[in-house]
Amino acid sequence: MIEESVRELSEADVLALYTKRRRRSVTLRERIERLGLYVLLVTGSAIVLFPLVWMLLTSLKTFEEANAPYLVWIPQDPQLTAYVEIIKDTDFLRSYANTIFVTVLAVGGTLISVAVVAYSFSRIQWPGRNVVFFLMLSTMMIPYQALIVPQYVFFNKIGWIGTFNPITIPGFFAGGAAMVFLLRQFMLQIPRELDEAALIDGASHLQIWWHVIMPLSRPALATVATFLFVAHWNSLLAPLVYLQTKSLYTLPVYVASLVNPQQTVQPWPTIMAASVLTTLPLLVAFVFAQRYLLGGIVLSGTKG
Amino acid sequence: MWSSYVYTLTWSAITVAFIVASSVAVGTLARLVVRARGADRRRQHDTFSGYAFASPWIVGFIIFVLLPVLASIYWSFTSYRLPNPPQWVGLQNYVRLLTEDRDFRAALVNTFYLVAFGLPAQLGVALGLALLLNQRTKGENFFRMAFYLPVILGLNAAVLLAWVLMFNANTGFVNTVLRSLGKSLPPVNWLTRAFIYIVEITNAFFIGLQNGNYVLLQKVLSSGFPPPHRVPLWLQSPLWIKPSIILLLVWSCGSMMLIYLAALNGIPREFYEAAAVDGATRWQRFRYVTLPLLSPATFYNLVVGMIAILQLFEQPYVLLRDSPTVARGGYTVVLYLWRATFRFNEVGYGAAISWVLTVIILIMTVAQFKLQDRWVRYELR
Repeated sequence: MIEESVRELSEADVLALYTKRRRRSVTLRERIERLGLYVLLVTGSAIVLFPLVWMLLTSLKTFEEANAPYLVWIPQDPQLTAYVEIIKDTDFLRSYANTIFVTVLAVGGTLISVAVVAYSFSRIQWPGRNVVFFLMLSTMMIPYQALIVPQYVFFNKIGWIGTFNPITIPGFFAGGAAMVFLLRQFMLQIPRELDEAALIDGASHLQIWWHVIMPLSRPALATVATFLFVAHWNSLLAPLVYLQTKSLYTLPVYVASLVNPQQTVQPWPTIMAASVLTTLPLLVAFVFAQRYLLGGIVLSGTKG
Repeated sequence: MWSSYVYTLTWSAITVAFIVASSVAVGTLARLVVRARGADRRRQHDTFSGYAFASPWIVGFIIFVLLPVLASIYWSFTSYRLPNPPQWVGLQNYVRLLTEDRDFRAALVNTFYLVAFGLPAQLGVALGLALLLNQRTKGENFFRMAFYLPVILGLNAAVLLAWVLMFNANTGFVNTVLRSLGKSLPPVNWLTRAFIYIVEITNAFFIGLQNGNYVLLQKVLSSGFPPPHRVPLWLQSPLWIKPSIILLLVWSCGSMMLIYLAALNGIPREFYEAAAVDGATRWQRFRYVTLPLLSPATFYNLVVGMIAILQLFEQPYVLLRDSPTVARGGYTVVLYLWRATFRFNEVGYGAAISWVLTVIILIMTVAQFKLQDRWVRYELR
């Protein structure tokens, strides 16, 4: 009997029954779960963001507080001495200027050349395009580290070691296949009629690229620019290998060199003040570009 | 002061001129070829533009990838110390690397350790965070940003130094918190000690693999279960350097989380409703609906994450800072490559290391792709 009646229930009835039951019994349970969810999320993000908080707190401490035999949580009398000290350090200022110079030049050069190459791979039909494109994708497999040794020898031969050239100029040649790929994917989505019309009006590919495609690709360009900015601002291996003189150091190399491994006591407030100032542009870029960045990861991830 | 900037700007201008000239040259050459083959005007024009626009990459590929790769393959069979010319030594570099060099073996063991333990930890945390964020909470955007932020900052030496400070074994933040938690809550203390015991045994075993003797493991085992006051030693001990690096890797798993989040958004609601009608519990829904449908995202994260860990450099560089006692416990292959090539100026040897690394990355990536049929499902069956 019971089995029969169950069989007679339609699917819609079951769904209705199910939703009704859920609505009746879960209010309290759901509330507790929501609360637990928020507790988890808040603690999680607090833990994740904590290193930044600690960086800031330490930069406001005195030397004695930072190196005390016990942990000083919050500086008793917050000081800006560490910042004054690090701003007076001409090597630090110099490395700040170096980093800005290198980043701006490399990002600018790479962005333009990547956009040019992506245009060729997405908007022009030419014989051999697929072969060259496949070749480009396959270079993504070669790790940067495999190239750094021979590139070092090459730059050494032409006398570029101890200059900014090795970390800025290679980017001008559409450095970064992943970036070309990301931009190409975006440019493929732009309707083809636009440049067909322009071509009939007698526009050259250079004009179409600059006047039609580039303005329409702004979100993707912003994504690529942010990725490149972050990569160059954080870059450690290449500057370590190529710069070699203190006057050319970029921020990551210089700030890392502030820690003296031979000593047990470090000038932590000064180091952390330098860290705060190094991190600041990244944070600003992140806040402004986060929607592009978060979108870009997913774009390159799901379509790659 | 300004001269180094002016120098690079001058060279940038020269480079731009060179790129433009080479683009026109490559484009013209391509046009000549298609014209000889009898293409129409439009086709000629497109061929010229196509090659001219792609030329920066083509020329860059030849200068910065193809020639270096060929040169580096050759140099890996030579003894090459700048500025002396390279001398052919055959397989000697590779033989020394794979059979004699204990530091390289240590670096290899460390790198595999990080892949074996760090990658699952990253994937697990990333998935957990994505599941939490997928519940449509208020402030979702803020939480997503917060969890993604370490990806932006995590490779910067300046931020890594904050971790060095927090990891200080005596007065660092992490251990201070562990100590006070352990004092007020006995279960936490017990858990911490169990964690210390497991980590130290595992790491002592791996250090044994590196050295070929298991003295350290015996020492750890004979000292028994850690006493109540013990805390992790983090950067001060070769037993703890790799767990410290893994913690940093987990901290910056935000891009994996975003991939998972995007994949979770793509799962149709009906699947869960159907599963609920069938009476599936929450765990069953996760195990038989969510997890299989996430497997393409897991696969992507696995491959990208594995390659990233195999190429790890920044974290061990900043955390180790040439500290000789822990160095062997924390060297990664790339860190060792950097030391061998640029500290000791052995170009030929460095080239050999870089090729061994490349082959490892290739093999492991191909293996992942071969294995994917067994567990990656692109449709729910």
